[in-house]
Amino acid sequence: MTRNRTVTTVAAVAAASALMLAGCSADGTESSDGPIELTFWHGYTEADGDVLEQIVADFNAENPDIVISTEINPWAVIDDTLLPALSAGTGPDIVAMPAERLPVYADRGAFASLDEFYADPANNAGAVNPGAVDMITVNGTAYGVPTGFVPLAVYFNKALFEAAGITEAPTTWDDWVSVSEQLTIDENGDGTPEQYGVILPDHATVANGLWPSLFYGNGGEIVEGGDTAVIDSPENAETLEFWRDAIVESAISPTGVDGIEADSIFSSGRAAMTIGGPWMVFIAADNGIDYGIAPIPAGPVDQAASAIGVSMAITQQEDPARQAAAEKFFAYFLNDDNAVAWSLGSGWPPLRTDIAADSVADNATVAALTSMAEFGRPLLPGVVNSVDVLTAVDNLTQQVMAGGDIDALLAEAQAEIEAALAG
Amino acid sequence: MTALAPTRVGALARGPRPRLKPTTAFAFIGLLAAVALVLLPIASIVFTAFKPTGEVNAFPPTLLPEQWTFANVERITTELPFARLILNSVIFAGGVTAFALVFDSLAAYALARIDFRGRTVLLIVIIASLMIPFQATLIPVYQVVADLGWVNTYAGLIAPRAADAFGIFFLRQFFLALPRDIDNAARIDGASEFRIFRSIVIPNAIPALMTLGIFTFVNNWNDLLWPLVFTTQREMGTLTSGLTLLTGPGGIIPYGVMMAGSLIAILPLLVAFLIVQRTFIESIATTGVKG
Amino acid sequence: MTSLTGSRPTYRPPAPLGGRPRRRSAQDKRDRTALLFLAPALIVLGVFVAWPMVSALRLSFTDASGFGVENWVGFDNYARIFADADILSALFNTVWYLVLFTPPAVAVALGLALAVNNPRLPFRSFFRTAFFVPFIVSLAVSAFAWGYLLDPNVGLLNYWLSSIGIRIGNPLQDPNLAMPVVALVAVWKSFGFYFVIFLAGLQDVPASLYEAARVDGAGPWARFRNVTLPMLSNTLAFVMIFAMIAALQAFDQIYVMTGGGPFGSTQTIVMEIYESGFRRLELGFASALSYVLLAATLLLSIVQFVFFGRRERDLT
Repeated sequence: MTRNRTVTTVAAVAAASALMLAGCSADGTESSDGPIELTFWHGYTEADGDVLEQIVADFNAENPDIVISTEINPWAVIDDTLLPALSAGTGPDIVAMPAERLPVYADRGAFASLDEFYADPANNAGAVNPGAVDMITVNGTAYGVPTGFVPLAVYFNKALFEAAGITEAPTTWDDWVSVSEQLTIDENGDGTPEQYGVILPDHATVANGLWPSLFYGNGGEIVEGGDTAVIDSPENAETLEFWRDAIVESAISPTGVDGIEADSIFSSGRAAMTIGGPWMVFIAADNGIDYGIAPIPAGPVDQAASAIGVSMAITQQEDPARQAAAEKFFAYFLNDDNAVAWSLGSGWPPLRTDIAADSVADNATVAALTSMAEFGRPLLPGVVNSVDVLTAVDNLTQQVMAGGDIDALLAEAQAEIEAALAG
Repeated sequence: MTALAPTRVGALARGPRPRLKPTTAFAFIGLLAAVALVLLPIASIVFTAFKPTGEVNAFPPTLLPEQWTFANVERITTELPFARLILNSVIFAGGVTAFALVFDSLAAYALARIDFRGRTVLLIVIIASLMIPFQATLIPVYQVVADLGWVNTYAGLIAPRAADAFGIFFLRQFFLALPRDIDNAARIDGASEFRIFRSIVIPNAIPALMTLGIFTFVNNWNDLLWPLVFTTQREMGTLTSGLTLLTGPGGIIPYGVMMAGSLIAILPLLVAFLIVQRTFIESIATTGVKG
Repeated sequence: MTSLTGSRPTYRPPAPLGGRPRRRSAQDKRDRTALLFLAPALIVLGVFVAWPMVSALRLSFTDASGFGVENWVGFDNYARIFADADILSALFNTVWYLVLFTPPAVAVALGLALAVNNPRLPFRSFFRTAFFVPFIVSLAVSAFAWGYLLDPNVGLLNYWLSSIGIRIGNPLQDPNLAMPVVALVAVWKSFGFYFVIFLAGLQDVPASLYEAARVDGAGPWARFRNVTLPMLSNTLAFVMIFAMIAALQAFDQIYVMTGGGPFGSTQTIVMEIYESGFRRLELGFASALSYVLLAATLLLSIVQFVFFGRRERDLT
């Protein structure tokens, strides 16, 4: 074999591989005269996903000049894949995401302003629940259309309530603690109950909303006006003190669990109450639990619950026609028929406050959640760096439940949140 | 003890086997215990996959299911485009492995056996490139792949990994240690470097290539973030990335379903490994891979 | 040092006759041949590793988020890293993880390889295979399986331990135990690969050396210290360095098991990089942090090269 053969062989290997790789890629290019093609990423994977797909299909049928295709992935996956896609310009045109994740993308310029969309009464956007709109408003500009807004609620196990002779869900904090004490059973007396009255996670709580809800109940807050840290308050100190006594001293709840463990403990029937979102309905059904829904009990000052929000936004478009097409879909999504269909299908309350309550009465869960919509408060509206704020809250509650000094920890959380807001 | 001359003697020169000593018996028992501990998580995956939900969350826990169920496995096979995901995994992990073995061994040969200028610098640069976490370069890599129009294609999945620094370094270490007498003789006979590479070095490097091949295949088969980011369409995902689609309402994956998914992801690897393990482990344990 | 940068004699074609010009052309020829061998790998590594690394380096001097406008900020990101208490604590955690992972993983792999390498051991090939099996399980799945075994409510291992009087509570929520647990998961998943490498390295230790040592009256420990260890030093250096690189990039099982908690006690540098880039959309800062990690890894590797290099020289 000569040296020339070597050259050609090695070159051939390289060339062949390049060809093979190139051959693997088949990429359709969009023609300029055809319909406008939009990609829509969302994370509705259950029955709600089917309803959304139907709305998209109906929209496509009614608008031959627009074709929306969906790509469905879990919410966490969307969060991981959106950044690379945006960075390379291959991102979706419309993307849905948990509402507290929207401000950071909006602040960095990922999304198009929807101020004009909201200004047009034909779009019905003016009727959307103001709390939900707060969550998509960043620095005074609207960047999204909410697809979900629901307050956290108490989901309780009816069988366990009956066994303990309890007929009504608790309505005040004191009530909540005493009912939980009755429902907490430690038969062998080893200090670890076999059944807990309630599960109150101390970190990574459902939609990060448990502790904010409790803070609101005593008149406290975490951030005010999107830019001022107010977590270090006497009200919040009282709240932490009250719940540490109940959880640690009275042992009404397991300690050290997170929101997902809470769901698994509740679904195995070892806790009578948990805090959750509408999906608890599916989980309870899967595990054969007969459940009831009640609002989070009123605190000494206020009755309020942190809301879980989901919203969709339009990524920055060079072509105004694409933006208009996406807005057309948003308007379609918010029209009278779809607002009701989406609510019934997703199990979440209607987003428009002008939808009559009896139009969703057929779905008991939706009806129950709709009746408590007034308690819903947006979580950290307009806060760009929500990640660090929520981490600070988690560190606070986790360390307080582990026996830390409340005042010192509140001061620490205050400093961390101030740093996060200063950005 | 300082004056030991490290002369090489073949395996045949080992002394006669002494009788089984008590220390060996102790070691045997100790190793059995170690195997039990090492395999416990795998046993737990296997058995939990066949437990009904009630038993998965039961207390006190048991290793074996009392009642076997296929519900978890069924859920996965019905909810995921299962065959397609397996095919994608095989193409992705297999493609990466095939390319990487060829490209890495060519490069390693040059680094180990050809005295070219800049060799040491190149080697250091290659090793240094391993020290940056891939989370840091993921976005620039994605941009390159997107510029090539390869998002959601096999090319986009495979090309960025068609050669890798670890493999080059690993094979170089092995090639360095192979004796040189035969190839020097071949050179004097006028054989080209490529011929020496193909006919002398590669046949002697089978254990090292198998080790690297298994390492590469397993790592890519198991990779999560890579296929997740490079394929946004479900039907282009791999088995490992596809399992994330099982995330239920509220972000929850039930333990039973997750274990069934894990089992299904591991099973093809386990079967493949058990088929090649005899050749693989035996070849390593008899000829060695000089790391 | 020798083993890693290579000073074994490599082939130089005999220069037929003549002086410098001819020799240079022989060198040119070798350079060309080498380039051909290197070309495919260098193209791939250049496009998909080197270029992205250069991009990341450039980004580290900007306030880029990955899309939209980016501004040049000079060394601001680097200055922020060294002023940020969270980063310093992540650095500490990373070093702690390195200590908890690398020596145990290497020691377990080496110990088991030595035990299995005993020719009188029954069922050797069974052991060789069994110890490699965890390696084929992904870190994420390993994390999930261990998390289930250690779960305070339904975990089998937790239950067994408590029934023999060892109460570990919820180890992943205990700031003292969480890091050892995530390191344990990685040791479990990784040692099999190192084990196989050691097993291979042991085949190169000539039996005559052991015989000679025995004749000298050396006990098992002396034989290990004076024969096995020096003869394995190449393999050991290789395994140590790659185990160290793996440890400094710990991510998967931490992401799955603790998400960096409790109270940030398992927050490592790569977790910080991920959160800065993908959660806070501060790609410039994440890139700067990556380069600091690269520099630290390089430094530690050099220390190891020197350390092992000396050992090797001491022997000969």
